[in-house]
Amino acid sequence: MAFPRFSPLLAQTSAVFQRNFSVSAAAAAIQKMTRVRVVDNSSLGNTPYHRPPRVIHVYTKNSVGKVGDKVLLAIKGQKKKALIVGHKMPGDRMTPRFDSNNVVLIEDNGNPTGTRIKVPIPTSLRQMEGDYSKVLAIASTFV
Amino acid sequence: MRIEKCYFCSGPVYPGHGVMFVRNDCKMFRFCKSKCHKNFKKKRNPRKTRWTKAFRKAAGKELTVDNSLEFEKRRNIPVKYKRELWDKTVEAMKKVEEIKVKRQARFIMNRLKKAKQLEKEEAINEVKKNICLIKAPHAGKAKQLEDKMVQRLQEDVEMGDEDN
Repeated sequence: MAFPRFSPLLAQTSAVFQRNFSVSAAAAAIQKMTRVRVVDNSSLGNTPYHRPPRVIHVYTKNSVGKVGDKVLLAIKGQKKKALIVGHKMPGDRMTPRFDSNNVVLIEDNGNPTGTRIKVPIPTSLRQMEGDYSKVLAIASTFV
Repeated sequence: MRIEKCYFCSGPVYPGHGVMFVRNDCKMFRFCKSKCHKNFKKKRNPRKTRWTKAFRKAAGKELTVDNSLEFEKRRNIPVKYKRELWDKTVEAMKKVEEIKVKRQARFIMNRLKKAKQLEKEEAINEVKKNICLIKAPHAGKAKQLEDKMVQRLQEDVEMGDEDN
Protein backbone atom coordinates (compact mmCIF):
# COMPACT_ATOMS: atom_id res chain seq x y z
CA MET A 1 0.00 0.00 0.00
CA ALA A 2 2.86 2.35 0.74
CA PHE A 3 4.60 1.38 -2.50
CA PRO A 4 2.35 3.21 -4.98
CA ARG A 5 2.67 6.37 -2.93
CA PHE A 6 6.44 6.25 -2.96
CA SER A 7 7.06 5.68 -6.68
CA PRO A 8 5.90 9.13 -7.99
CA LEU A 9 8.11 10.81 -5.39
CA LEU A 10 11.04 8.73 -6.53
CA ALA A 11 10.34 9.69 -10.12
CA GLN A 12 10.33 13.38 -9.24
CA THR A 13 13.55 13.34 -7.29
CA SER A 14 15.47 11.35 -9.95
CA ALA A 15 18.62 12.82 -11.40
CA VAL A 16 17.04 13.58 -14.79
CA PHE A 17 14.23 15.97 -13.96
CA GLN A 18 11.53 15.62 -16.64
CA ARG A 19 9.25 18.52 -17.32
CA ASN A 20 5.96 17.46 -18.82
CA PHE A 21 3.69 19.88 -20.57
CA SER A 22 0.93 19.07 -22.96
CA VAL A 23 1.59 19.58 -26.65
CA SER A 24 -1.42 19.53 -28.90
CA ALA A 25 -1.55 20.29 -32.61
CA ALA A 26 -2.93 23.66 -33.59
CA ALA A 27 -6.54 23.21 -34.60
CA ALA A 28 -6.41 25.80 -37.37
CA ALA A 29 -7.42 24.89 -40.91
CA ILE A 30 -8.67 28.10 -42.56
CA GLN A 31 -8.49 31.33 -40.60
CA LYS A 32 -8.21 35.04 -41.25
CA MET A 33 -5.61 36.04 -43.82
CA THR A 34 -5.33 32.59 -45.44
CA ARG A 35 -5.05 32.67 -49.18
CA VAL A 36 -7.60 30.42 -50.81
CA ARG A 37 -8.24 28.97 -54.21
CA VAL A 38 -11.62 29.62 -55.80
CA VAL A 39 -12.70 26.46 -57.61
CA ASP A 40 -15.93 27.39 -59.37
CA ASN A 41 -16.22 29.02 -62.78
CA SER A 42 -17.42 32.43 -61.62
CA SER A 43 -15.87 35.46 -63.28
CA LEU A 44 -14.98 36.98 -59.92
CA GLY A 45 -13.01 33.91 -58.96
CA ASN A 46 -11.24 33.36 -62.27
CA THR A 47 -10.21 36.81 -63.48
CA PRO A 48 -6.59 37.49 -62.51
CA TYR A 49 -5.82 40.12 -59.90
CA HIS A 50 -2.50 41.16 -58.45
CA ARG A 51 -3.53 39.91 -54.98
CA PRO A 52 -4.76 36.40 -54.21
CA PRO A 53 -8.19 36.08 -52.57
CA ARG A 54 -7.86 36.12 -48.78
CA VAL A 55 -10.16 35.18 -45.93
CA ILE A 56 -11.07 38.16 -43.78
CA HIS A 57 -13.69 36.61 -41.53
CA VAL A 58 -14.73 33.10 -40.58
CA TYR A 59 -18.35 32.56 -39.60
CA THR A 60 -17.80 30.00 -36.84
CA LYS A 61 -17.62 30.23 -33.08
CA ASN A 62 -13.86 29.69 -32.89
CA SER A 63 -12.76 31.50 -36.09
CA VAL A 64 -11.41 28.27 -37.56
CA GLY A 65 -12.85 27.18 -40.86
CA LYS A 66 -13.27 23.54 -41.81
CA VAL A 67 -15.16 21.95 -44.70
CA GLY A 68 -18.71 23.30 -44.84
CA ASP A 69 -18.04 26.57 -43.02
CA LYS A 70 -18.82 29.95 -44.54
CA VAL A 71 -16.15 32.62 -44.75
CA LEU A 72 -15.83 36.18 -46.00
CA LEU A 73 -13.31 36.70 -48.77
CA ALA A 74 -11.60 39.79 -50.07
CA ILE A 75 -11.46 39.36 -53.88
CA LYS A 76 -10.55 42.04 -56.37
CA GLY A 77 -11.12 44.74 -53.79
CA GLN A 78 -14.60 43.52 -52.87
CA LYS A 79 -16.04 41.44 -50.07
CA LYS A 80 -17.69 38.14 -50.98
CA LYS A 81 -18.96 35.20 -48.98
CA ALA A 82 -17.68 31.72 -49.76
CA LEU A 83 -18.02 28.11 -48.67
CA ILE A 84 -14.99 25.98 -47.77
CA VAL A 85 -14.94 22.74 -49.74
CA GLY A 86 -11.51 21.38 -48.89
CA HIS A 87 -8.42 22.24 -46.93
CA LYS A 88 -4.81 21.09 -46.67
CA MET A 89 -5.09 20.18 -43.02
CA PRO A 90 -6.06 16.55 -42.29
CA GLY A 91 -9.63 16.56 -41.04
CA ASP A 92 -12.07 13.89 -39.87
CA ARG A 93 -11.01 10.31 -40.32
CA MET A 94 -12.96 9.42 -43.43
CA THR A 95 -12.63 12.74 -45.27
CA PRO A 96 -10.13 13.41 -48.05
CA ARG A 97 -7.26 15.83 -47.70
CA PHE A 98 -6.79 18.31 -50.51
CA ASP A 99 -3.65 19.83 -51.94
CA SER A 100 -4.96 23.38 -51.63
CA ASN A 101 -7.55 25.31 -49.61
CA ASN A 102 -10.55 25.21 -51.94
CA VAL A 103 -13.48 27.57 -51.72
CA VAL A 104 -16.71 28.13 -53.67
CA LEU A 105 -18.10 31.67 -53.98
CA ILE A 106 -21.56 32.08 -52.56
CA GLU A 107 -24.24 34.77 -52.25
CA ASP A 108 -25.76 35.85 -48.95
CA ASN A 109 -28.69 33.50 -49.41
CA GLY A 110 -26.44 30.50 -50.06
CA ASN A 111 -26.74 30.37 -53.86
CA PRO A 112 -23.43 29.72 -55.61
CA THR A 113 -22.08 32.48 -57.85
CA GLY A 114 -20.61 30.15 -60.46
CA THR A 115 -22.39 27.55 -62.55
CA ARG A 116 -19.99 24.61 -62.46
CA ILE A 117 -17.44 23.11 -60.10
CA LYS A 118 -14.90 20.86 -61.73
CA VAL A 119 -12.78 20.11 -58.66
CA PRO A 120 -13.87 17.07 -56.57
CA ILE A 121 -16.13 18.00 -53.66
CA PRO A 122 -16.20 15.90 -50.48
CA THR A 123 -19.42 13.93 -50.05
CA SER A 124 -19.47 14.77 -46.34
CA LEU A 125 -21.10 18.07 -47.37
CA ARG A 126 -24.31 16.15 -48.05
CA GLN A 127 -24.67 15.11 -44.41
CA MET A 128 -23.86 18.54 -43.05
CA GLU A 129 -26.55 20.76 -41.62
CA GLY A 130 -27.15 23.77 -43.78
CA ASP A 131 -28.52 24.22 -47.25
CA TYR A 132 -25.66 23.09 -49.47
CA SER A 133 -27.90 21.42 -52.03
CA LYS A 134 -27.35 24.11 -54.66
CA VAL A 135 -23.58 23.88 -54.33
CA LEU A 136 -23.76 20.08 -54.54
CA ALA A 137 -26.00 20.37 -57.57
CA ILE A 138 -23.39 22.23 -59.62
CA ALA A 139 -20.53 19.95 -58.59
CA SER A 140 -19.46 17.45 -61.25
CA THR A 141 -17.25 15.02 -59.30
CA PHE A 142 -17.43 13.86 -55.70
CA VAL A 143 -14.72 12.41 -53.55
CA MET B 1 -19.10 0.20 -50.15
CA ARG B 2 -16.06 -0.73 -52.14
CA ILE B 3 -12.66 -2.17 -51.35
CA GLU B 4 -10.24 0.17 -53.11
CA LYS B 5 -6.63 -0.43 -54.04
CA CYS B 6 -3.79 1.44 -52.37
CA TYR B 7 -2.00 3.66 -54.86
CA PHE B 8 1.42 2.77 -53.54
CA CYS B 9 1.42 -0.90 -52.59
CA SER B 10 -1.73 -2.04 -54.49
CA GLY B 11 -3.07 -3.64 -51.34
CA PRO B 12 -6.77 -3.56 -50.39
CA VAL B 13 -8.08 -0.50 -48.55
CA TYR B 14 -11.09 -1.54 -46.48
CA PRO B 15 -13.66 1.03 -45.37
CA GLY B 16 -12.51 2.89 -42.29
CA HIS B 17 -8.83 2.44 -43.08
CA GLY B 18 -6.22 4.60 -44.69
CA VAL B 19 -6.01 8.12 -46.03
CA MET B 20 -7.24 9.71 -49.24
CA PHE B 21 -5.44 12.62 -50.85
CA VAL B 22 -6.79 14.76 -53.68
CA ARG B 23 -4.18 16.51 -55.81
CA ASN B 24 -4.82 19.79 -57.58
CA ASP B 25 -5.11 18.05 -60.94
CA CYS B 26 -8.14 16.26 -59.42
CA LYS B 27 -6.39 12.90 -59.23
CA MET B 28 -7.29 10.94 -56.09
CA PHE B 29 -4.77 8.82 -54.24
CA ARG B 30 -5.75 6.26 -51.67
CA PHE B 31 -3.27 4.81 -49.20
CA CYS B 32 -3.83 1.74 -47.09
CA LYS B 33 -1.51 2.77 -44.29
CA SER B 34 0.80 5.57 -43.26
CA LYS B 35 3.82 3.65 -44.58
CA CYS B 36 2.53 4.01 -48.13
CA HIS B 37 1.41 7.59 -47.49
CA LYS B 38 4.83 8.62 -46.17
CA ASN B 39 6.63 6.97 -49.06
CA PHE B 40 4.37 8.84 -51.45
CA LYS B 41 5.14 12.13 -49.75
CA LYS B 42 8.84 11.32 -50.11
CA LYS B 43 8.13 11.12 -53.84
CA ARG B 44 9.24 7.50 -54.10
CA ASN B 45 8.29 5.68 -57.27
CA PRO B 46 6.21 2.59 -56.42
CA ARG B 47 7.59 0.85 -59.51
CA LYS B 48 11.03 1.04 -57.97
CA THR B 49 10.18 0.26 -54.35
CA ARG B 50 10.85 -3.42 -54.05
CA TRP B 51 8.10 -4.47 -51.67
CA THR B 52 5.20 -3.09 -53.72
CA LYS B 53 3.10 -5.15 -56.10
CA ALA B 54 3.78 -2.56 -58.81
CA PHE B 55 7.50 -3.39 -58.67
CA ARG B 56 6.87 -7.14 -58.62
CA LYS B 57 4.63 -7.03 -61.64
CA ALA B 58 6.95 -4.70 -63.54
CA ALA B 59 9.96 -6.92 -62.74
CA GLY B 60 8.15 -10.09 -63.86
CA LYS B 61 8.11 -11.65 -60.41
CA GLU B 62 4.35 -12.14 -60.42
CA LEU B 63 1.66 -13.18 -62.84
CA THR B 64 0.69 -10.27 -65.10
CA VAL B 65 -1.12 -11.59 -68.19
CA ASP B 66 -3.85 -14.07 -67.40
CA ASN B 67 -7.52 -14.58 -68.10
CA SER B 68 -8.40 -14.71 -64.43
CA LEU B 69 -6.99 -11.20 -63.99
CA GLU B 70 -9.25 -9.83 -66.74
CA PHE B 71 -12.23 -10.13 -64.40
CA GLU B 72 -10.83 -7.48 -62.11
CA LYS B 73 -10.47 -4.84 -64.80
CA ARG B 74 -12.91 -1.98 -64.87
CA ARG B 75 -15.74 -2.16 -67.38
CA ASN B 76 -17.37 1.07 -68.48
CA ILE B 77 -20.59 -0.46 -69.82
CA PRO B 78 -23.39 -0.57 -67.25
CA VAL B 79 -25.28 -3.85 -67.00
CA LYS B 80 -29.03 -4.03 -66.35
CA TYR B 81 -29.83 -5.50 -62.96
CA LYS B 82 -31.01 -9.12 -62.96
CA ARG B 83 -31.23 -11.15 -59.80
CA GLU B 84 -29.99 -14.43 -61.31
CA LEU B 85 -27.07 -12.64 -62.93
CA TRP B 86 -26.18 -11.15 -59.58
CA ASP B 87 -26.29 -14.53 -57.82
CA LYS B 88 -24.30 -16.24 -60.57
CA THR B 89 -21.72 -13.46 -60.47
CA VAL B 90 -21.16 -13.99 -56.76
CA GLU B 91 -20.58 -17.72 -57.33
CA ALA B 92 -18.33 -16.99 -60.29
CA MET B 93 -16.31 -14.51 -58.24
CA LYS B 94 -15.50 -17.19 -55.68
CA LYS B 95 -14.43 -19.66 -58.35
CA VAL B 96 -12.37 -17.08 -60.24
CA GLU B 97 -10.61 -16.10 -57.02
CA GLU B 98 -9.71 -19.74 -56.38
CA ILE B 99 -8.32 -20.23 -59.86
CA LYS B 100 -6.44 -16.93 -59.76
CA VAL B 101 -4.73 -17.78 -56.49
CA LYS B 102 -3.69 -21.20 -57.81
CA ARG B 103 -2.30 -19.74 -61.01
CA GLN B 104 -0.36 -17.04 -59.18
CA ALA B 105 1.12 -19.62 -56.83
CA ARG B 106 2.06 -21.86 -59.74
CA PHE B 107 3.76 -18.98 -61.53
CA ILE B 108 5.89 -18.23 -58.50
CA MET B 109 6.71 -21.91 -57.99
CA ASN B 110 7.86 -22.21 -61.59
CA ARG B 111 10.01 -19.16 -61.16
CA LEU B 112 11.63 -20.61 -58.06
CA LYS B 113 12.13 -24.12 -59.54
CA LYS B 114 15.14 -22.97 -61.52
CA ALA B 115 16.95 -22.26 -58.29
CA LYS B 116 16.97 -25.98 -57.38
CA GLN B 117 18.72 -26.90 -60.60
CA LEU B 118 21.26 -24.08 -60.23
CA GLU B 119 21.86 -25.14 -56.64
CA LYS B 120 22.57 -28.69 -57.72
CA GLU B 121 25.05 -27.57 -60.36
CA GLU B 122 26.75 -25.30 -57.88
CA ALA B 123 26.98 -28.12 -55.37
CA ILE B 124 28.57 -30.42 -57.93
CA ASN B 125 31.13 -27.76 -58.84
CA GLU B 126 31.92 -27.17 -55.21
CA VAL B 127 32.48 -30.86 -54.59
CA LYS B 128 34.74 -31.12 -57.64
CA LYS B 129 36.79 -28.13 -56.50
CA ASN B 130 37.22 -29.35 -52.94
CA ILE B 131 37.40 -33.11 -53.58
CA CYS B 132 40.61 -33.21 -51.52
CA LEU B 133 38.50 -32.65 -48.38
CA ILE B 134 36.55 -35.83 -49.05
CA LYS B 135 39.00 -38.14 -50.74
CA ALA B 136 42.81 -38.15 -50.57
CA PRO B 137 44.42 -37.36 -53.98
CA HIS B 138 46.22 -40.72 -54.16
CA ALA B 139 43.32 -42.61 -52.64
CA GLY B 140 42.45 -45.11 -55.39
CA LYS B 141 45.73 -44.96 -57.36
CA ALA B 142 47.26 -48.12 -55.84
CA LYS B 143 44.23 -50.24 -56.72
CA GLN B 144 44.14 -48.67 -60.18
CA LEU B 145 47.78 -49.56 -60.78
CA GLU B 146 47.17 -53.15 -59.59
CA ASP B 147 44.21 -53.49 -61.93
CA LYS B 148 46.25 -52.16 -64.83
CA MET B 149 49.06 -54.59 -64.14
CA VAL B 150 46.62 -57.46 -63.92
CA GLN B 151 45.11 -56.43 -67.25
CA ARG B 152 48.60 -56.18 -68.89
CA LEU B 153 49.55 -59.60 -67.58
CA GLN B 154 46.30 -61.07 -68.95
CA GLU B 155 46.97 -59.47 -72.33
CA ASP B 156 50.51 -60.91 -72.33
CA VAL B 157 49.13 -64.36 -71.53
CA GLU B 158 46.60 -64.05 -74.37
CA MET B 159 49.29 -62.87 -76.81
CA GLY B 160 51.44 -65.81 -75.68
CA ASP B 161 48.52 -68.21 -76.32
CA GLU B 162 47.92 -66.72 -79.80
CA ASP B 163 51.56 -67.15 -80.72
CA ASN B 164 51.39 -70.73 -79.64
